[in-house]
Amino acid sequence: MQGKELGDYIIEVERIRKTFPDGVQALYDFSTRIRRSEVVVVIGPSGAGKSTFLRCLNGLEDFDSGTITIDGIPLDDNKENRFEIRKEVGMVFQLFNLFPHMTVLENVNLAQMLVRKKNHDEATKVTMSLLEKVGIPDKAQSYPSQLSGGQQQRVAIARALAMVPKVMLFDEATSALDPEMIGEVLDVMKTLAQEGMTMVVVTHEMGFAREVGDRVIFMDEGRTVEEGSVEQIFSNPQKERTRQFIGQIL
Amino acid sequence: MPPVNNKRSRRIWFPVIHSPWSDVIKFLLVLAALTWLLYRGTESLGYNWQWHRVSRYIVSVKDGQVIFGPLIQGLLVTLRICGWSLVFSFTFGLLTALLRMSDSVVGRGVARCYLELIRNTPLLVQLFFLYFVVAPVLNIDRFTAGVLALSLFEGAYASEIFRAGIVSVARGQWEAAHSLGLSTFHLYRYIILPQAIRYVLPPLTSQAVALIKDSALVSTIAIYDLTMQGQVIISETFLTFEIWFTVAAIYLVLTVILSTMADIMAYGLKTTS
Ligand SMILES: Nc1ncnc2c1ncn2[C@@H]1O[C@H](COP(=O)(O)OP(=O)(O)OP(=O)(O)O)[C@@H](O)[C@H]1O
Ligand SMILES: [Mg+2]
Repeated sequence: MQGKELGDYIIEVERIRKTFPDGVQALYDFSTRIRRSEVVVVIGPSGAGKSTFLRCLNGLEDFDSGTITIDGIPLDDNKENRFEIRKEVGMVFQLFNLFPHMTVLENVNLAQMLVRKKNHDEATKVTMSLLEKVGIPDKAQSYPSQLSGGQQQRVAIARALAMVPKVMLFDEATSALDPEMIGEVLDVMKTLAQEGMTMVVVTHEMGFAREVGDRVIFMDEGRTVEEGSVEQIFSNPQKERTRQFIGQIL
Repeated sequence: MPPVNNKRSRRIWFPVIHSPWSDVIKFLLVLAALTWLLYRGTESLGYNWQWHRVSRYIVSVKDGQVIFGPLIQGLLVTLRICGWSLVFSFTFGLLTALLRMSDSVVGRGVARCYLELIRNTPLLVQLFFLYFVVAPVLNIDRFTAGVLALSLFEGAYASEIFRAGIVSVARGQWEAAHSLGLSTFHLYRYIILPQAIRYVLPPLTSQAVALIKDSALVSTIAIYDLTMQGQVIISETFLTFEIWFTVAAIYLVLTVILSTMADIMAYGLKTTS
């Protein structure tokens, strides 16, 4: 995106490796650095390790070696650090993962009250303004099962934003949606990007990448095959493997 | 072709089988048949039925005052034992389930040992062990020993139920909660357990029913529960058949009430979400 000021490096990933117990090597010496306010789009074939990378970033998955530092906090065995990082890193999942036994309001209020220690009224005020922002203020009292997929995903985004994270991770946030609902979720994500949120986005939505992506990482077999500006990767890929993949998805 | 046959016979039988009255009629027929068999049997034994003598062991009225008989007193003891045991067994069950799923190797080991020990020895032996060995050492009374034995025993089975309920909650719920920075306690308290309760309520009810039935064993350590009171009355009055029928009926009423309450609760849970 043009005209955006990028800050210092907020995420530093240094040669992380991850091998699952069954022997599958999901990440192999993967490194990257991401600046404040940068929107990084991660693409790659199925099994490339995109999800594993995102999940490592907020400690949902342990990695075997290498280092991850987020806003100066190392993601290591220290539990305090891990909780600190999870507070600062929001994540949006492919299948929404809303809490089905809670209303939309309760879903978004929960972590504000439990983790940020706000009282109910303060939390509700934030929640209502976030629901306004994602365009569903009238659904506060609904249960997730009463919402469309697009609405559920927007609630999930609001829920993550309620923690006022410094980084937002999106793992194929629109892949499970009916085509007519993809736009409404992408619009919310674009707004966030324009407001300067640091975002790491795994997606197949090339329109989104072109519009707000600052950089594209093409991954395969747990490594970065090629990375660069959106223009460079999509229009002028250097590696044969990248060319092949771009040819398939465009 | 069997499927076709099946279909036809089902159609023919449909009105009979699915009328609610046919169930009632069948039930009454079976009951009548059993009663008749029993009557014939006891007649040949020369058993002298004296149902009129039973009521005083339940309640009687003396000088305008209602007096609860020994069977009701026994029932109250059974209720007290079951109430405490229920609370403790579910607590043990939940704690053990959480321990088994924790990161702590020691915790998992302790849970494993407890489960193996309890599930591979008879309840009666556990009860005797607690009453004759542990109770004198720790100086606890027989009521506590009985409650402890029942709680430990049923708790081992309840833990299996809780564990199954907990793992049945979708993986994504854990991940969402973690990604929001929730602590493990908050995760279980607000996300996992409220969802698991739906899965565990039916099997937990069966477990509670089993507990009520197993509680009769405490009569062996001379706790005057419903079963013990029945035995005492019989030894004094020789109303063997009448009292055992009555005792069984009281247990039945207890367990039916419990199951009904659980059904209502399950219905409530279903409608609130
Ligand atoms: N929990 C797990 N246990 C074992 N192997 C796993 C696990 N999660 C992922 N993998 C394996 O690790 C590799 C990378 O998986 P990952 O989910 O990161 O890929 P991805 O790039 O997100 O793919 P997709 O586009 O299909 O989501 C794959 O080979 C996958 O099978
Ligand atoms: Mg994935």
